[in-house]
Amino acid sequence: MSISDATTAVSEELASRDDMIVCTGVDKWYGDFQALKGVTATVKEQEVVVVLGPSGSGKSTWIRCINRLEQHQGGSIVVDGVELTNDVRNIEKIRSEVGMVFQQFNLFPHLTVRDNVTLAPKWVKKQPKDQAEDKAMELLTQMGIPEQAEKYPGQLSGGQQQRVAIARSLAMEPRVMLFDEPTSALDPEMIKEVLDVMKDLARSGMTMIVVTHEMGFAREVADRIIFMESGEIVEVGTPEHFFTNPTEDRTKLFLSQIL
Amino acid sequence: MENSQPSLTIDDGVLPQAAALPPEEPSLPPGEWIKKNLFSTPFNAVLTVVFGAIALFFIDLFVDFVFSEERRWNGTATNLRLLMTQGYPESQYIRIWVSVGFLAALTGLCSGIWNAGDAVSMKRISTWFMSTGAFGIIAIALSPLDTGGKTTWFIASAVSLAIGLALWYGLGDQKRRSTFVRTPYLIYGAIAAIVASLWVVPYGNYTFSDGVLTNEPDSIVAFTTRWPWLVMAFILIGTYIAGRFAPASAARVFKPILIGLWVLSPLIIVWVILRDPELDWDHVISTDIPMALGFILIGGALLYALSKPGLGEIGKLAGFGLLLFAAFHWLAAFFGWYPMLQKARLSFLFLALFAMAAANFAGDRRTRLQLVFGWGIFMAVLHYFATMINTASTLEFRGDFFLGGYALTLFVSVMTLMLSFPLGVMLALARTSRLPIFRLLSTVYIEAIRGVPLITILFFFSVVLNLFLPNGMSVSETAAVVTGYTLFSAAYLAENVRGGLQSIRRGQFEAADALGLTGSQRTGFIVLPQALRVSIPPLVGQAIATYKETSLVAIVGLNDLTRIANAIIPAQSEFLGVQMENLILISFIYWVGAFSMSKYSQKLERRLGVGER
Repeated sequence: MSISDATTAVSEELASRDDMIVCTGVDKWYGDFQALKGVTATVKEQEVVVVLGPSGSGKSTWIRCINRLEQHQGGSIVVDGVELTNDVRNIEKIRSEVGMVFQQFNLFPHLTVRDNVTLAPKWVKKQPKDQAEDKAMELLTQMGIPEQAEKYPGQLSGGQQQRVAIARSLAMEPRVMLFDEPTSALDPEMIKEVLDVMKDLARSGMTMIVVTHEMGFAREVADRIIFMESGEIVEVGTPEHFFTNPTEDRTKLFLSQIL
Repeated sequence: MENSQPSLTIDDGVLPQAAALPPEEPSLPPGEWIKKNLFSTPFNAVLTVVFGAIALFFIDLFVDFVFSEERRWNGTATNLRLLMTQGYPESQYIRIWVSVGFLAALTGLCSGIWNAGDAVSMKRISTWFMSTGAFGIIAIALSPLDTGGKTTWFIASAVSLAIGLALWYGLGDQKRRSTFVRTPYLIYGAIAAIVASLWVVPYGNYTFSDGVLTNEPDSIVAFTTRWPWLVMAFILIGTYIAGRFAPASAARVFKPILIGLWVLSPLIIVWVILRDPELDWDHVISTDIPMALGFILIGGALLYALSKPGLGEIGKLAGFGLLLFAAFHWLAAFFGWYPMLQKARLSFLFLALFAMAAANFAGDRRTRLQLVFGWGIFMAVLHYFATMINTASTLEFRGDFFLGGYALTLFVSVMTLMLSFPLGVMLALARTSRLPIFRLLSTVYIEAIRGVPLITILFFFSVVLNLFLPNGMSVSETAAVVTGYTLFSAAYLAENVRGGLQSIRRGQFEAADALGLTGSQRTGFIVLPQALRVSIPPLVGQAIATYKETSLVAIVGLNDLTRIANAIIPAQSEFLGVQMENLILISFIYWVGAFSMSKYSQKLERRLGVGER
């Protein structure tokens, strides 16, 4: 597999950090269709990786394998030193360290915003109610929506819902956050409010993998960009390298289509 | 499905501010309304006349039937008590009233504390009065019969029409629309009016008590009817007012208690109604009460001592010792070494459990007293129930003697619903489980039950259940019927719940998984609450069907409401053949129950819909 890895272009400082996620030759089939073909990639601690690529290229499938929403069939995935196997305890451990934000928000419609955020800390982390609620209010304030705590998700705008979803994931104090096209279901005027929150999060040192079509975000925030097509990683590099001087033809074609 | 005039009912009692209302066309006066809606074009006028005539023809038939000289309504009136509770001994009737009063107090408190009900506009109320009055006048005027009752009804209809018109023209247009009356006031007002009328209006006194048949058409109703209903009305309205004006802090404390009481109420009432009338009061005073007090006081003192802060290992050891002591008594009872009251064994066991929890309450005086009070209340309830059921006759349901009439109908339907609901949910979860064995068992069960008629199942259980039980054990006809009916109903409930489960989007499962919730947490917190909400309409439909189809138990020989109306009263020597009157009355009784359930479910859907919007 020919990956023109531009890791050398990434700072020495990043390269010296610990590995957070290590994927080695990850394969995934849906029936006869191979969605992931030997995906090999490493995400460092506190790194922000943006995954780009045309639709159907396996971006979402890959990050959904990282917290076992999809089961990979070949290769290995190691998150923070724990290998993802069929062992339920490993899966639970990894899921409690990896937060995920979905394209469709997937908030729990029958619970208030506050209960959406406190449910998992109370029942998975066994936090006392007061502590979980204080933490929830802190996170909602950070997201700029403390006054929505008593409302139901259905009463909020899309942008507000997505920020609640981010708060819900952060309440579990994850070490990694996965974003699966977090702004694709939003109206244009709401995209910015969600991206701003994500930028703040990136600056605070959270390890993030972001699948998105927001090129501005990728250029501004990403430490590295991974470009995927047909289930393969085609090119990896810094935003500067990727947008100004891509080496692969497929990358050039993709960029010429969207820019 | 939805209310015909949704704009007039307001959710959660929040009244709209007049300024926030969109400008509305002034309401048409009744005459104009009729012209616009019923006679707008010649074709519509023809339709109105034709269908109006057909409707009037059938109404007329019904009115003639009801007011006919041949109807013997006194037969139904005399047997009201039989219809409600069959042969429940008159000397013990106070228990029925205690139960009704308990339910009335719960209903009043709950509707007060939760501030239940919608608001209805004055405009709507006046149209109710007008249409009822107009309908009554037309229906009675067309009837050729001439009996005393007719005049009364005619006057009542005219009064209703007059009230409606007075409300309509008495209030200005804007005022009529913006004046709202809360439904509890309407309902409780109507109940108060009906109960008050028992004391003044000569409905007639028809009773059959102690072998004496009273038949006085022109007097007011019997003393034994007037008084209890007056008390019930006072309890209902008094508790409503108490709940309505209770301080918020008290309301917060009472809400969970009230919910708990509702859940327990069927059991409490069954115990109150079915316990042996010959309660051994000597035993109660000499043994039961002292024992309860002993456990409350000595146990409380022990718990207070054990919750002393800094007790450390000694507290744990004491709790463990008590547990061994309690366990030994259970063993002793099992092997028959020496006799001890079951109640004492239970009390010791719970004392041990409380003692082991005592360390959690170590702290200041208030926290420690909380534990002691909790223990006292728990013991009081436990000993009350143990005393109530700790008599031989109450361990079996005396279906053929004690329970009958509407009480039996309610008993069978409430028990069936309470038992089949959890069973149905479990079956639905099993049918959607990942484990093939659960899926297979549940599917086989559901498909087998759904392929068999209810009446077959009822016959089967009333005959066969006793054959399957171990030697020396038997269940009454009522228990057998409830068992069969529960198994039947659970299969249908399971299918309704499964429909709800399948409507939950995949994203909800993924979000729960991504947060690290376990499978049972995901089901309990995320999937089931949403699935049950979606299933409310079919679940209530099933509840209504269950309530109505309890009439089938008549066929296996239980004296439920239908059987008494259809077979028992017509066989009485005084009222030979009085049957149709009873059937009209019980149709009305069934309808009131089913209609309230359906109305309530509509309200529930609207309220729970908040999360979906």
